[in-house]
Amino acid sequence: MLTRIAFRNVFRNRRRSLITMLVLIVGATALILFGGYKEISFYGLRESTIRNRVGHLQVYKKGFLDSESQKPLEFGLENVSQLRRAIESDARVEMTVPQISLMGLVTNGEKSETFLATGVESDKDQKMSAQRLVAGESISDKETDGVIVGELLARSMGVKPGDYLTLMTTTVSGSLNGLDVRVRGTFATGMKEFDERAIKMPLAGAQQLLQTQKIERLLVLLKNTDDTDGVKTMLESRFVQNRWDLEMRDWAALATYYHQVRNIFNGIFGFLGIIVFLIVIVSVANTIILSIFERTREIGTLMAMGTRRRQIWAMFFLEGLMIGVVGGLLGIAVGSAVGELINQAHIQLPPPPGYTTGYNLKIMLKPSILVTVMLLSSVTATLASVLPALKASRLRIVDALGHI
Amino acid sequence: MHTPLVKLQAIRKSYSLGKVDVTALREVTLVIDPGEFVALSGTSGSGKTTLLNLIGCLDKPSAGTIQLAGLDVTALSLPSLANIRSRKIGFIFQTFNLIPVLSAFENVEYPLLFAGLGHRQRQERVRQWLNQVGLENQARQRPDQLSGGQRQRVAIARAMVTQPNLVLADEPTANLDSETAGQILDLMSQINQETGTTFLFATHDPRIRDRASRQIHLHDGQIANDVILTETSRRFANAH
Repeated sequence: MLTRIAFRNVFRNRRRSLITMLVLIVGATALILFGGYKEISFYGLRESTIRNRVGHLQVYKKGFLDSESQKPLEFGLENVSQLRRAIESDARVEMTVPQISLMGLVTNGEKSETFLATGVESDKDQKMSAQRLVAGESISDKETDGVIVGELLARSMGVKPGDYLTLMTTTVSGSLNGLDVRVRGTFATGMKEFDERAIKMPLAGAQQLLQTQKIERLLVLLKNTDDTDGVKTMLESRFVQNRWDLEMRDWAALATYYHQVRNIFNGIFGFLGIIVFLIVIVSVANTIILSIFERTREIGTLMAMGTRRRQIWAMFFLEGLMIGVVGGLLGIAVGSAVGELINQAHIQLPPPPGYTTGYNLKIMLKPSILVTVMLLSSVTATLASVLPALKASRLRIVDALGHI
Repeated sequence: MHTPLVKLQAIRKSYSLGKVDVTALREVTLVIDPGEFVALSGTSGSGKTTLLNLIGCLDKPSAGTIQLAGLDVTALSLPSLANIRSRKIGFIFQTFNLIPVLSAFENVEYPLLFAGLGHRQRQERVRQWLNQVGLENQARQRPDQLSGGQRQRVAIARAMVTQPNLVLADEPTANLDSETAGQILDLMSQINQETGTTFLFATHDPRIRDRASRQIHLHDGQIANDVILTETSRRFANAH
């Protein structure tokens, strides 16, 4: 019966309950939208970091990660074709990508800049589509001295597709070497600092410049990111079986930028959560306090008839819980609907800091977010009713009955 | 010798109103026997409501002892008092005090929740009392769909449904027109005679007061007058 009274009282003052519910709905919607935006951003950043840059797994020669190389490619991998076949035989693996990264000076004859080059097989590079071609064409394995240059570096060097540059670096034996390269195209990644330094060249060209047959690392790309741990374990045991002197890192250890962004976003999300939490607390507490004030004589009557104080407390507590649950459910419904509308609307956002291109606003309606919002809403509303309910249960009966 | 239903011994009740101490009752000694139909009269502020609250175990006296059916309730804990209220005492209020979100039926059923009865017994008891007060057709209606007289009938059924020894009514007819007030008093009197339940009601309406079998008049927190009327003297008083 007390549950029935609590339930009916939720709908007794419709306008007030509606306003409280509205606060809950707006709060829940804000959390769902921001949470959904956060999740889609995490997902997008994770997948682009993996697929365009670091791969799901990176395989190196043992010692690469812990030892300081005295010379380029001191811990490079040799004769990787057997290793690649072994890895690619697993159905979960999409491809393996050999890479070399090197640094040096690039000059146009008048001006020099430091560069950061990646040597990669051209077909793999196109599949990874790490960069957007701004002008000209991509690298080709057929033209080992044809490179593409970061848009901002190209501007700084004053080159356009068809022009020549000279790359200088230290070879694996420690001597200096130079290579004239032809600019096939310019590209942008969206990251300014990177585009000011970046060069991409065919793997064979990089090997020629470094005077080696080695590669630095082998990237492993999977069809599905969720398989990362499984494939890693499988490969580890296979390395041991074949006594291959190799070590590995997964994307989670490599994607530091991803983790930094994640931490910042989670911090903001938490802060927003606290604000919504406070607003909901104040709003629900206000509703319950007003309700208690209006129903003081009713409380006195209930207690006069033998209702225990803890039952009075439970009744108002239940009211808070019901407001929270109903408000939370409505909030989830409204939040999901608004999220879906935003997804359908294809809203363009300006580029985020450090990027040069904008993107579509999307909201990921992840079940975990909806559950969190639901829990937050009901727990908060319930907590908000604890103290007012306690106040109601501590009323003196004669005072409550005399209340007008 | 029989045990009185209510026995007050040198009751004093004072409370603070802001910074002033107010004494609402002073040295009240009173005995009420089972089956009595007692009117408590007096001007407002004379201590009627305070006395009803003390007898109804809603409040505790500053001094003196209260016995209900031989049990000293003065020193009992709050839960024990709640227990006594739910089993032995029925309350009727001036403003009816029905629970607005419950139907007439549910309002009457409410006190039975503490009586340890099964669902079917409860339903039967509620129906019996709604019949008794003539509201069997209004069982599903909420208080705001009932007239003042009907609401007070529901309140009477609610007070009686636990079969209490004592019903306390604080100005039960003050919010009703005189015809309805008369009907309500007839109903209370009829229940008193049929069930032997003791009624103690506060009123300052002389027409109501004069229908009681005993009239206690309070003045400044003391009993100024306590008259037990025989049937003949009551008729005489009513006629004049």
